[in-house]
Amino acid sequence: MSAETAVAATRGIEVRRVVRKHHALVRLSHWLNVPLLFGLIVSGLSIYWASPVFEHAPDAATGSSDYLADIGIWAVRHIPGLAGPKTNPSTWIYDRFGLGAFQLALALRLHWLFAYLFMANGALYLLGLLLGGGYKALLPRASDPADAFSMARYYAGVVPAKLLRRSWPHPSFRSKYNALQRAAYFSMPVLGALAVASGWAMHKPVQFHWLERLFINYNGARVVHFGVMIVLALFVIPHVILVAADGWDTFRSMVTGWSLRTGESVDGD
Amino acid sequence: METDRPGSGREEKEEAGTPSTPAVTEGVKTAASEAAPDESAPPERESAPPGPAPAAAAAASESAPPRLTLRERLREPEESPIDVPLRKLRARTRRDFLLFSAGALGAAAGFWWLLPDRARREHLTPALRDWLDSWEARVGATRERREKFLNHSLTFDDDVAEALYSPTRSVRTYSRSQVTPLRNNYNGVIPKPDYIPSWSLTVSGLASGRSERLTIADLLSEFSRHDQVTRLCCVEGWSAVAWWGGLRFSDLLSAYPPAAGARWAKLESAVGLDAGGNPDPYYVSIDLPTARHPQTLLATHLSGRPLTVAHGAPLRLLAPMKLGLKNIKAITSIVYSTEEPADYWNERGYSKYDGL
Repeated sequence: MSAETAVAATRGIEVRRVVRKHHALVRLSHWLNVPLLFGLIVSGLSIYWASPVFEHAPDAATGSSDYLADIGIWAVRHIPGLAGPKTNPSTWIYDRFGLGAFQLALALRLHWLFAYLFMANGALYLLGLLLGGGYKALLPRASDPADAFSMARYYAGVVPAKLLRRSWPHPSFRSKYNALQRAAYFSMPVLGALAVASGWAMHKPVQFHWLERLFINYNGARVVHFGVMIVLALFVIPHVILVAADGWDTFRSMVTGWSLRTGESVDGD
Repeated sequence: METDRPGSGREEKEEAGTPSTPAVTEGVKTAASEAAPDESAPPERESAPPGPAPAAAAAASESAPPRLTLRERLREPEESPIDVPLRKLRARTRRDFLLFSAGALGAAAGFWWLLPDRARREHLTPALRDWLDSWEARVGATRERREKFLNHSLTFDDDVAEALYSPTRSVRTYSRSQVTPLRNNYNGVIPKPDYIPSWSLTVSGLASGRSERLTIADLLSEFSRHDQVTRLCCVEGWSAVAWWGGLRFSDLLSAYPPAAGARWAKLESAVGLDAGGNPDPYYVSIDLPTARHPQTLLATHLSGRPLTVAHGAPLRLLAPMKLGLKNIKAITSIVYSTEEPADYWNERGYSKYDGL
């Protein structure tokens, strides 16, 4: 690299000082996760519709015994513009966020398709982390709890400080990620593995009986699988907001791998 | 890169440890030798001129590579900036963003293709849907191709399931106190109990070349009853622990052996009715290794009592290593075959293996 720089300098070619952020396999698997998780959630909701795991006694007014369907019934009733002539409130959440009601056979086939691709993609991600050494930036460390607290304090105060026009410096870290990012990015592959494990526990509870026992019983695996889906879906919200707040360089680095933030001028993120 | 750093850090420490000026070297040397006369290494290094000392230390660390602790190995490396020619950087960035956009477009198109018609109607405007449909027709992404593609993912999963299957692995059993309410998922309506007095089981595809007609009294007297408390899992997602009793399918197979080369059994129920109450025969394909499994029963009892019509009186399949939809109720015929027989739900887009 230094030889290249030297040649470039002598020829008077314009250069940019960049830093490598993400291995190509990590970038690839990161973006593949978007359609794969989307497909898994969309088909998964249509599978869930066939027999919800979170149920209550049937509601006399709506006839619903499904907590998830209740959200749709509530939304159609209270949010203006949602109720159309063909809207069915009791299947609204499945029609809008899933493949719809009565799609079990198709949803199962799609779920297997995306599930196998998701597992392959997970392997790709781990390979990329190993080859690029990126896993080192994700491993939890002893200073994390204290650093996480100072980051949480920073996030809590950043908007009020902006409004009051007071300076609110970003805590400075010498690592690639701050403690909150590290906790989030470390827990993602763990959650992915949990989704896969609970999925197999449901899919093959006889051949993988030990896996089913790990989740106590069949319904335990269903509850975990659903819970992991909710957490993964909720992760997307702060993830997208924070990347947008952090700027173009952060987004570009996940597409191209390089960043202009060489650590010489920028703090933290 | 990161393996060098701890070494260089140590080097710095040693450098700091060595006296900075030659003037005081002598005095320190004597003090050190008085305090610790055994130590031979520090005086040696001090005798060397101050200039090449770091080089000597570097040579020492090269000859004996520094032992890194696991903690040091896992330490995040410092980001090392590199200078890249701007033209090269721009070309690579353009390439990566083009790939990214192509991927995003491909994913969106793929999703639209895979989306069921019911879901398609929920999204986009009619004009946009027409436009996309015409593009689909132009590139040949037809509904038939979609079905074929999705069936590949199903057969792939079936192959995985078959590879995972072990005939010696038994289904988890429960105690009778763990029994949970059992749903009745009769597809359509529950048949009227009129069929029960004239019910009989026909078994064909036998080695004897004949076909056998067995009444429920024959079955109960000829075979010993086995009881088990197992979980029945439905493809819909619900499951129930139930106490079943009946004869082992394997006992029927030994008493009436199938013809040589038989690998499958087609179990059929002629009493099934559709939602309108019209005859709707139900049939499942069962591979013989599953039929021979000791926990595969031809169940006659539920919770210690003879089966009710809702649960498949007088004889149903209980294969707890298969999804509930294979556990056919009110079996009227068993046919052994070498070719895989038709399966009711497989014809409606579900797996034909359904192994748990």
